[in-house]
Order: sequence, then structure tokens, then C-alpha cells
Amino acid sequence: MSGIDTMNPSPQPIIRVSGLRVEFETDDGVVAGVKDVSFEIAPGETLCVVGESGSGKSVTSLSILRLIEFGGGRIAGGALEFARESGEVIDLASASADVMQSIRGNEIGMIFQEPMTSLNPVFTIERQLTDGLRRHRGLAGEDARKRALELLREVRIPEPERRLSQYPHELSGGMRQRIVIAMAMACRPRLLIADEPTTALDVTIQAEILGLIDRLKRENGMAVLFITHDMAVVAQMADRVVVMYRGDVVEEGPVGRIFEAPREPYTKALLAAVPRLGEMQGTSGPEPMRILGDALPTAAPPRSEPSTKGGPLLDVRHLTTRFPVKGGLLRRTIAEVHAVEDVSFSLARGETLSLVGESGCGKSTCGRTILRLIEANSGEIQLDGWNVRSLGRLDLQRARRDMQMVFQDPFASLNPYRRLADQVAEPLVNFGLASGSEITDRVAHLFDRVELPRSFLRRFPHELSGGQRQRVAIARALAPSPKLIVADESVSALDVSVQAQVLNLLMELQADLGLSFLFISHDMAVVERVSHNVAVMYLGRIVEIGPRAAVFGNPRHAYTRSLLEAVPIADPARRRPHDDRSFRPLSSPIFPLGADIQPSIYDEVAPGHLVLKSAA
Amino acid sequence: MTYVLNRLLSIVLTLWLISVITFAVTSILPGDVAMMILGTQSNPTALAGLREQLGLNDSLVVQYGRWIGGMLTGDFGHSLVFKEPISQLMAQKMKASALIVVMSMAIALVCAVPLGVWAAVHRRRWQDSVSSSAALLGISLPDFFWGIMMILLFARTLGWFPSSGFTDPSVDFVGALRHAFLPSLALGLGLMAHLTRVTRSTMTGILNQEFIRVARAKGLAERTVVWSYGLRNAVGPIMTVAGLQIGYLFGSIIVVETLFNYTGMGWITYQALLNRDVPLIQTSVFFIAAVVMLTNFVVDLLYLLVDPRIRTE
Amino acid sequence: MKRFLTPQGVVGFSLIFAIAAIGILAPLLVPRDYATRMKMAARLKPPSLEFWFGTDQLGRDLFFRVLLGAHTSLGIAAAAVGISIVIGLPLGIISGYVRGRTDNVLMRLVDTLLSFPALLLALTISAMLGPSIPNTIIAIGIAFTPFLARIIRGEALRVSAMPYVEAARAAGTGDVAMIIRHILPNVIPLVIVQGTISLAFAILAEAGLSFLGLGTQPPNSSWGLMIQASRDYLDVAPWTALAPGAAVALTVLALNMSGDVLRDVLDPRVRS
Repeated sequence: MSGIDTMNPSPQPIIRVSGLRVEFETDDGVVAGVKDVSFEIAPGETLCVVGESGSGKSVTSLSILRLIEFGGGRIAGGALEFARESGEVIDLASASADVMQSIRGNEIGMIFQEPMTSLNPVFTIERQLTDGLRRHRGLAGEDARKRALELLREVRIPEPERRLSQYPHELSGGMRQRIVIAMAMACRPRLLIADEPTTALDVTIQAEILGLIDRLKRENGMAVLFITHDMAVVAQMADRVVVMYRGDVVEEGPVGRIFEAPREPYTKALLAAVPRLGEMQGTSGPEPMRILGDALPTAAPPRSEPSTKGGPLLDVRHLTTRFPVKGGLLRRTIAEVHAVEDVSFSLARGETLSLVGESGCGKSTCGRTILRLIEANSGEIQLDGWNVRSLGRLDLQRARRDMQMVFQDPFASLNPYRRLADQVAEPLVNFGLASGSEITDRVAHLFDRVELPRSFLRRFPHELSGGQRQRVAIARALAPSPKLIVADESVSALDVSVQAQVLNLLMELQADLGLSFLFISHDMAVVERVSHNVAVMYLGRIVEIGPRAAVFGNPRHAYTRSLLEAVPIADPARRRPHDDRSFRPLSSPIFPLGADIQPSIYDEVAPGHLVLKSAA
Repeated sequence: MTYVLNRLLSIVLTLWLISVITFAVTSILPGDVAMMILGTQSNPTALAGLREQLGLNDSLVVQYGRWIGGMLTGDFGHSLVFKEPISQLMAQKMKASALIVVMSMAIALVCAVPLGVWAAVHRRRWQDSVSSSAALLGISLPDFFWGIMMILLFARTLGWFPSSGFTDPSVDFVGALRHAFLPSLALGLGLMAHLTRVTRSTMTGILNQEFIRVARAKGLAERTVVWSYGLRNAVGPIMTVAGLQIGYLFGSIIVVETLFNYTGMGWITYQALLNRDVPLIQTSVFFIAAVVMLTNFVVDLLYLLVDPRIRTE
Repeated sequence: MKRFLTPQGVVGFSLIFAIAAIGILAPLLVPRDYATRMKMAARLKPPSLEFWFGTDQLGRDLFFRVLLGAHTSLGIAAAAVGISIVIGLPLGIISGYVRGRTDNVLMRLVDTLLSFPALLLALTISAMLGPSIPNTIIAIGIAFTPFLARIIRGEALRVSAMPYVEAARAAGTGDVAMIIRHILPNVIPLVIVQGTISLAFAILAEAGLSFLGLGTQPPNSSWGLMIQASRDYLDVAPWTALAPGAAVALTVLALNMSGDVLRDVLDPRVRS
């Protein structure tokens, strides 16, 4: 990778955006999605445009290809000067539709966020790879096929010949994103626009895709416009950075300068809220998130120390949850998904244990099984003396007072047709914990507790922002005074600054109330910051579990290592060489009925630090 | 393949359920069938004789067993009104109705798909307003109203097509088409309006998909994006709705065939209902439901060809 | 609220209110001497200042006939849709919420019933029961139930899978409270949309049944019945068909217009 601050912008940029303004026709009149944006990108340079939701970063990228017009938008001002292959410079903002078609996919390629939906489900990969070649290069038949194969090799897809005749749904998300990149690269574009290309992907696949884009840039000398909300990705990819907020450019500069010495308050706040993997080295307990504007803590920040008195609060032994796979004649069960397979751990009072892993590893199912929202196949769950799995209807109702859950999606976890006060009161009513005016009082106090104004009591969910809704969900979980809260990706859907506030609220509640958290997350940097103990899950099993400092500082299982290596660090000085090859064998948690399933056996490498012995 | 087998098993079960429901509706509902046929003032011996003839004195289970047993061996009984074997009647009338059902579906699809795509491409502009308003009006007019208007315009005033009657296509093909045309058009217009709306909403959804944006980002011509990338994805959903509309058509033919004196399934079912010809009612109702169900099965199989995602399942 | 008041919404809702008012008040609006106004001398007169919509073969004023027809047709349609919601809503919700075997059995039955064209089912039931206004209501109501149950079941299934339902279960909500507090309120918008559209179909079905003589019987007045009566006089008096036909079309159009607007605003599957 080239030096960070030594990047020498060439005098002839590939694209120069100046004073871009984009407007949308809505029912409420004309709204500006982008107000005044200017930047330029030189050949071989990566410009990252970063911002939170609603900042206008995607609108900017779509404007360059003039795709914004198909979504009801209009370029209302500014110029988009693009240096064509012929050396001619044209203003894309005023180019004709024909010229734009000859540039799209030819001189400018674009990659989108959702690999699952960016490929046409009813066409083969070959057809989708070659139709751009046919259009721009006049290649057809065997020539087009040869070039398509070349492209697949270039993006390092295994068995490229076989892929050509496959349909998108037969490929994994990471492979689909490679296909989309191959499509964008088909005609060797001078500019590649990547709009959140790794947001929907798991972290190990993200690392491969980031590496791939970077290699293609170096090999082809393209200019890259990279749109993202993730400061860690910016730190890994960018030569220069443009920070956007509500349709305007807030700050622009070389990546090193932006991270080391941000000038604008918004950039400072954005950077402060981002947890950086590895920054907790040498500490043992969780630390609150940095939020700019808060005075530096004079007293020690509230911190919870797990208490071992009275044994663990939650003790899970050999928990196994499987889902049937139906098929064949009469749709019988022919196989099982081993979502949770022989999982054991325990959680002390006041402790945060994080379950981390990539999508489909079983971490969410594990949380739901403990609350008995899903029934386990076998194993034991002890919660504060309750044997949760054997509880009858009434006892389960009692036990559920002690364990509550906060879900991922703050938009979907609240009933849109119920007032917030009623939703927070629901557990109080259900468990018979309060009645009459007492309910109103306690709900009001819960709103105070999560720092929501009491004027919100009578409102409906759609009147609140995502962070506020998540606070309501937390208030609801707190209502029956539980001892355990399962937080399932509870901050993943939030913008980074809001995420930091909600995380701090959770840590504060823990310190005040002695709550235990089972914190389910895919975000290693957040997990490093908030946990006492960490369990890494892969294909339904815990592969490594132990104190946070041990698991992050001295990872012993190969999967934990690869996971940690893949996480981008929000620090341009700590760039890691990304290998864009995928060597991980495709493994599946689906086993035929009656398969020989081995129990999980662990080595204790240090006190409390366990590593799975057998390769799962 | 297991998919097809599973579906075949389900068809057998559904056919049996159809027969049970048909029989239940025509037998268990209150009212003495013999009295309905002969009238309340009829003489008791005649009533008793008819009851005997219809087997009404047996238990319902025996009656059902006799009916289903007859159908399994190809003996559908005799019509009380037409004094003919019902099997013969069914064969002729199904053929007649198939002609107008297929014709109206063809008319509807040929017009509805381009109109719907056109409206979706020009969403929220005048082209969309015109096409959507016309479609809204189309689904709001009853079929028989269309029929009456067509008789007035094409038959009475212009004299281009006969206003009533049926010709067997194997006897006189052109004559058959001429007789089938107005009923088909009357059926097809409402259907066309409905399918236009379905095509528009399906295409609107598809044109908002990410892969359409990707196709545009590749520099493909808008024509290719809409008519190849877009429409190819809409074929399945449109086909499914069209299949479901076969059921609607088989309801509408009762009115339209009666209006045009077109002697098909709808016409004969109506005659059977008017005259309380219970054996004929049972069999024709069963056949219509069975044809509708089987058509939808065929559509499901066609979906396999259209959508690779279901094929691999 | 604003989102309901698109031009299409304003026209549709106003028309429905006007037509509903006419339907309810029709018996009061029609003059008392209506019955004696049958004048053989005024048979089949074209529309004029005296007879706004013309007269029929018995010399009756078609304008008043259409008003009275609104009373019958709208009443039957509303009652029939009411029946189908009363049966279909609980069936659909239980099927979609409970799932499993109950759902399989219920939906197998509903799918089979959907193989019977609704009009055929309604005609057969009406014929077997003997045509009358209550039997027409029952026939149309039953014929429409499977479709409604299917749609509501799909929505209940979608709502049951929402995180807020899981959240409520974690908060100790039982099944009955779950259905009343969480499932039902989120299914109701779809019921309103489908109810409006079903009303349009029910008016068409009533007209079809009466047109075939298996629905409303004389001397009651209904739009379908009027169109049937007009068939023999089409050549000399086309207005006898046009007046009730236009009434049906306008009502159904108003309902469909409102239904479209309601769907755009309320249907979660379209809204997103």
C-alpha cells in the first residue's frame, strides 16, 4: 500500500465535482439531498466519502453516473467534470443520455451495497457479465465468454468455468459481491464507484473484498470513490477523505491528517465515538465509550465489577438447539440445522459476557433459547436457581421477570400502533407487578432512567428516532427489574454517535443496578470495549471463551485469530495487509439426521480461557 | 422432481376435498330437492317417486359414495333437464367454454402487459394516470354490462358479430370464432384492466430493485433494462395472477354465456341451477372447480421454468 | 391524514359518502306516491326533465328505482362483506398466529374453497337455499370468506414474525393478550383495505346474482335486477340498462378508488 500522506495528487484529476446540488421532488415540496459538494479524484487515488445516514453520501455517488434521475432526483447545480479516455473533459451533469450510457459501465464502473439484490435473479452469471462487454466492446459469443472467465479469475472466484452457467442464488454473498465487482471492472473503468460495498458482508469477507478493491485499483491505476459510514473502513482504504453531514461537505483532507488532527467539531465527534480494536490492551474491565462534549471524567467512570457471591447468575450446560430441514416426498424432516451445538458458559452477577461471531453462527439463536423464545433440544439452563428448561407455564412467566431482551431493530421491535407508555408498561401488567396509578409512575421513572423526556410517554414509535426507540426498548426490558438482559445486536442498527450513547447507558445501568448482560454482537471493536468475558461462536459452537483481555490479547483458536485479523482498525497508521483470497472451506451447520456429532471438548490454556479442541 | 410428486399428491387430496365440498353444498343445505324440482304443490306420489329415483332416501354417506363411485368409473349419471348422460354434456360444454376462456385470456394478456409496463415506466406521469384510470374504470364495470354494450355496438348497430349462439369449432372454425368473439371480449376487458394493474405494480416494484440500478450502471440501454431485465422478472408473478384469474373467468362465464346464449359450461350450470337439476349441478360445479385447480397447478409448474430459484429447491 | 387526501382519495371518499347516504336514506327520499306513479302511458320514456333517468317497461321512474336499488344493493353488499369478515378474520388470525397443524388443515380447506369461483359458489348456495335477500347475503358472504381468510392469514403470519411480537412474548405477554394487543391492531389496516375492495366485488356479485334471477327477487328493486329487466328493451330503450349500469359502475369505481388510496397508505406490504 502506498504512503498515506505522501500521495501526490496528479494535476489532471479523473473527476472533479464542484458545487454539486441535488434535489428531490417529494410530496412536501423540493428537498435538497446534497447541497454543495466539491472534490476531485486523481488516477490511482482512493477518495472515501464518509457520513452517517442522511448525509447525502450515496446521493453524491449516484449523481456522478446520473442514476439519481431514476429515483426522482435532479442535479440542480454544479459541475461533474470527467476526463474521458480520449483526453476530452466533459461535464456529466449536462451530458446527453446517449453519452451517459456510453460512459456507464465502460469508463465508470459502480459497485452497490447489497450483493444479494444487485444481481438479476433470473439471468445466468455469464449473461450478466457479458452484456456490458457486448454493449461497450462489441464482444460476443466465445470472445465475450473468454473475457468473462478472465474477469472471474481476476476477482479470484474459485471454479470460474462452473460459475458462468450458475444463477445468482446459487452463490454466497461474498461471491456475489465479487461478481458485481467483476461486472464493474469488465471494461476497465477509469473511475470505480463503490457505495458501501462491504456493509452487508461479514467481517472476514469484508476484509477480502476490501483487499480485492485495493489490488484492482493498484493494478489498473483507477480512481476509486468509496462511500461508507464506517470510519474503520475509511482508515484502511482511503488516500483522502471527505466527511459529509446533511448534504454538505464538513471537512476534507488526507486520511492521516483527518484521523490525527480533525479540525471540525463534527469530524472530531464522529472519530471519538468509534471504538478502535486493540485500544483496550492492558486493561481488564469494560470502559465507557468516548463521547465528545462530555467533560473528561474527573472521578472514575462507573464500572461494574462482576460479583461471584451466590454462584453464577446464569449457567448454561451443553445447550443444543436444532431446526428441522424439510424436504423430499411428503416433506419430512431430512436434516437438521445445528444452530446451537453443545454450548456451555456461565455468567456472574454484574458481568457482561459477549457472544461474538459472524452471521449464521448461532449467537442469536443461543440468546433466544436461553429466554425460551425458542425451545432447546437438550442441555441445561440455570438462572438464579431456576431450571429454565423444565419450567411450566406459570413458573416460566415468573422466571421471565428476571431475564429480558433488547432486540436489534429499533424500528421493528416496537408495535407501531401502541403508545410508548403502554409498551413499556406491558411487562408490569403481564407480571402483575403494579396496578393503577403505580404503573404510570413506574413507567415515568423508567423514561427518566433511560433519559427520555416524559413528553414521549403518549407518543407512538414513528415519532422517535432510532436511538430514542432503542431507549424505549431498554426501558421496557428494565420494567420488571430483571437480573439478566440479553442484548441481541442492540446497537448494530444505530449510527456510530448514537451507538456510543446507548452503549454508555447500558454500562451505566449495569453499574447502578448490578445487571448482567449477555451481549450478542458481530462488532469486535464494540465487544472489546464493553465485555468482561467473551465467547467466540462458529457454526453453532463456542470455539473460544475467556476473559476479554485474554481472548483479544492472546487468541488461541484459528477462527478467533482470523476474525481479529479481519477487523478493520479505525487508525490509518495501523493498516493491515489484506489478503483477498478466500481459503476458508465452505462449512455448513446442516447435518443429515443421525449424523455422528461429537461433543465440544476444550483445552484450558489459562485460568478461565478455554479453546475448542476438535475442529468443529 | 420431488416437488412435482408432492404437488401431485396434494392434487389428489384437493380433488377429493372439492368433491366433498361440492356434495356438501348441494346436499346438506336445507331444502327438499324433490320438492324444489316439482314445486310445493306437487302430488305426494310423484315426490316419493322422484326421491326414490334420485336416491334421496339413502343416507348422505351412501349418496356421496354412489356419486363419487360413479365418477371414478366414468358414469356421471343423467341430467334431469337435458335427459342426456352428463359425461357427454360436460365434454361438449367444457370445449365451448375453453375457447372463450383462452381467447379472453389471450386478449387480456396481449394488451395488459405492454400497458402495465408502460404505466410503470412512466410512473406518476400522465401516461400512468391515463392507463391507471382506464384500468380502474375497467375493473369497476360488471362483465354483463360490457356484454350488453357490446351487443348494442358490435351486434345491433354495426352488425359485425352475432349477438348470440354457439358454433362447434370442429364443424365451422371461423363461425365458432365469430360466435366466441363478443363473449371473449366482454370477459377479456375486465380481466385486461385487472392484469394491467397487476403488471404495473409488479413492474414498479421490480424497477425499484437494486439489480435494475446495476443494469443501468452497466450502461445498458433503457429499453434492455425495462423489457429484458425488468419484464423477465415480472413474468412469474403476472403468470400466477393470470392463473388465479382463471377462477374468476369461470365464475364470469355463467353470466356472460347466459347473456350471449353461448352454450358452454357457464350456460349449462346456470340451466342446472335454475331447474334444480341436482346431478348436473354437482358434476358441473365439481368440474369447474377441478379445472380451476388443475390450471393453477400447471401455472405452478410453468413457474419452475421461469424462475431458477424455485427450480433448485 | 394528509396522505389519504390525494385527488383520487377526495373524489373516491366523497362519492362513497354520498352514495352511502343515498342508500341509507333512499326509502325516505322516494315519494310516497311512487307506487301509484306507474303509468302505462309513460312506458319506456327517454330521460327528460320529468323523468331524469327515463322510465322502464312498466312506466316507473328509473331515477327513483335507482335510488331504491342503492338501498338494496349496498345493504346486501355491506352485510355480505360483514359476514365474510366476521368469519374470515378470526380464522385467518388463528391460522397465521398458531401455525402448525391447525394452519395446515385450515389453509388446505381454504385453498380448496378458492378453487370454486366465488360467483359460482354464491350462485349455487343461493340456488340451493332459494333466492331471497337474506340468502343472497349469506351466499355472497360465504363465497368471499376464503379469500379474506387467506389474505388475513398471510398478514397475521407476517405480523407474528415481527420483532415486537417476540419482544412482547419475552415481556410475558400471553396468547390472548398477544392477539388483542399486537396482532389484531396490526392486521386491521389490511382488513380495512380488503374490506373496501371486497365491497366493490360484492356489489358486482349481487348485480350478477340478481341479473341471473338468483339474487334479489321482485318486487324488491336492485341494480342487477333492473339490468336484467332491461335486456328485452335494449333496442328501443337503452337507458333502462344504462341507468342502473352506471350506478353500479360509479359505486364500484368509488370503492376501488378509495381502496387504492387506502392500500397506498395502510397496506404495510405496499407502504415500505
